[in-house]
Amino acid sequence: MSIAVRQLNKRFGATVACDHIDLDIPSGELVALLGPSGCGKTTLLRIIAGLEVPDSGHVLFHGEDATHTDVRERQVGFVFQHYALFGHMTIFENVAFGLRVRPKSTRPPEAEIRKKVMALLELVQLAFLADRYPHQLSGGQRQRIALARALAVEPQVLLLDEPFGALDAKVRKELRRWLRRLHDEVHVTSVFVTHDQDEAMEVADRVVVMNHGKVEQQGSPDQVYDHPATPFVLQFLGDVNLFHGRVEQGAGEVSYVRPHELEIVAEAGADTWPVTLAQTLTVGPQTRLEFRRDGDQGFIDVELPRERWNVLREQLRLAPGIRVHLRPRRVTRFQAGAAVA
Amino acid sequence: MSTVAAGQRPSPLTLSRKRERESTPPLPLAGEGWGEGRRTATAEPRWVQWTLIALALGFMTLFLFIPLATVFAEAFKKGWQVYLTAITEPDALAAIKLTLIAAAISVPLNLVFGLAAAWAIAKFDFRGKQLLLTLIDLPFSVSPVIAGLIYVLVFGLQGWFGEWLREHDLKIIFAVPGIVLATVFVTFPFVARELIPLMQAQGIEQEEAARVLGAGGWQILRRVTLPNVQWALLYGVILCNARAMGEFGAVSVVSGHIRGQTNTMPLHIEIAYNEYQFAAAFAVASLLAALALVTLALKYLVERRLQQEKRGIPQVDPALAVNLNPRGGRAGLARTRGHS
Repeated sequence: MSIAVRQLNKRFGATVACDHIDLDIPSGELVALLGPSGCGKTTLLRIIAGLEVPDSGHVLFHGEDATHTDVRERQVGFVFQHYALFGHMTIFENVAFGLRVRPKSTRPPEAEIRKKVMALLELVQLAFLADRYPHQLSGGQRQRIALARALAVEPQVLLLDEPFGALDAKVRKELRRWLRRLHDEVHVTSVFVTHDQDEAMEVADRVVVMNHGKVEQQGSPDQVYDHPATPFVLQFLGDVNLFHGRVEQGAGEVSYVRPHELEIVAEAGADTWPVTLAQTLTVGPQTRLEFRRDGDQGFIDVELPRERWNVLREQLRLAPGIRVHLRPRRVTRFQAGAAVA
Repeated sequence: MSTVAAGQRPSPLTLSRKRERESTPPLPLAGEGWGEGRRTATAEPRWVQWTLIALALGFMTLFLFIPLATVFAEAFKKGWQVYLTAITEPDALAAIKLTLIAAAISVPLNLVFGLAAAWAIAKFDFRGKQLLLTLIDLPFSVSPVIAGLIYVLVFGLQGWFGEWLREHDLKIIFAVPGIVLATVFVTFPFVARELIPLMQAQGIEQEEAARVLGAGGWQILRRVTLPNVQWALLYGVILCNARAMGEFGAVSVVSGHIRGQTNTMPLHIEIAYNEYQFAAAFAVASLLAALALVTLALKYLVERRLQQEKRGIPQVDPALAVNLNPRGGRAGLARTRGHS
């Protein structure tokens, strides 16, 4: 089921959570709402779910206005950041809940509930935990149960609020790959909220970058990374060096160069900056170099693979204090007035 | 030590000696002094520990155990026969019955009121929430006697509704309805006060989850909210019941002390005592004391379950609380370097 959001507004007191938001989510896609905390992404998700009511604007499900449809009739699955599992019920009963609370006329018979719940537990690979209680499970297991519970009611739309936010880095990584695979299997339209750009880039078909209650850009992960529409998107999606009107065109423009898009060369050229190496830092496979520009003494970060660094160090006899030149492989420019943060 | 010159640092040795001298009593060395138990950094010396324990025990014996024992001793002083007669005479039976009736009406009422108030306060946002909280606490802050007097002023013969009530042949003051009203008032906060903090700590995520899954209001209350607070609710009911049966002040004002009709157990005890019927007074008092002991035992059991329950709440898991902050580093706005 496709979701459309039209001119949506929501404020909490003086805080604007959603500011004239327009959004289209095609059927069957996995979409990430990405942005810093407080940008309104969770509020938008909750409005789509029906847990919040917008001040104005519309939410359309499959082209039909669902703005004032009750949560219970929206056929959405919602996964909470802190799971919100029912602590006094077994895992089995948690997953079965959505089926058991149906009115008698549409409630499936016990045998069918049992079959369906076990199938879902198989899907999330936790069938062996059916008789346990939520507090006996690890965070990653709880989140998978929360997902199974949301899927039990066969939702048309799956909404996930920072689904991996409360998990440690390793489990988070495993779970997001698992979510991607699950989505390829189930193919229900899914929207998840995250503040982690790696997570959004890795999992989603489409990324919606939000800031201050506004949608800054939406597109495929490659689109938003390679062709950022605003300086905010550029900066939010990764580290960047910033230059005020010095490169080629002159004043009035701000130029951005990502650390891995700078080349270290020995010879000066028309498109290079003279710099002095300040310090180096190698973390895992990457080496991060910090240069100081001649003149204003500003810092420039350069990132390159460890092996490349080892070769360069030999070639150019690089050490702190050595002067070299930097050539940008790619420069992104925005008007100086464009809002940054 | 006083010879240490200004600016000269005392050697570590002199420092440690100094510290040793100042600490009283001296730290017992291994194998010396206060027995085999090793002292930890925060423990007091044994004699301090024992003195404090003895003081506390002595105090409790004097003011708690001896009076309690006295109640039972006095009650049975003249033998079983007198005891049984004292608690089975018509006036005593009437008092016991009235107490049970008052508790049987006020406890369920306050269970419903308390649950409704706690549900509203903990799970919803509305104007006047703070006012409602204050009102719930009112019976704690108002003297029970004042509470009773207010009812007399409102429903008494000379009161606001006195005329109207008399015309319709309704009796509230100096009758059972007044006693129930007074009991409901003084026991109102117990259930709500017990539930509100727990419900607030549990938050509304589970209720929201249930709603999204298609559950209606009653289903959410019955299947999600109530099971999550059942032990706190029972705890509140136990406290509420204990107070309902033991209430004296407010009930005394509205009762009128009509023997066999408007006397509750506490009032019956007072009258008997004032008439020098000590055996009768203490016999009924022993029933109330026994009720208190049973309440204590129940309270202990429920409290234990409540502790286990609280440990089981996933939302207040400290391991999660730490992770509430979005991770730093590359999440959020990544490093930006500016040049002009």
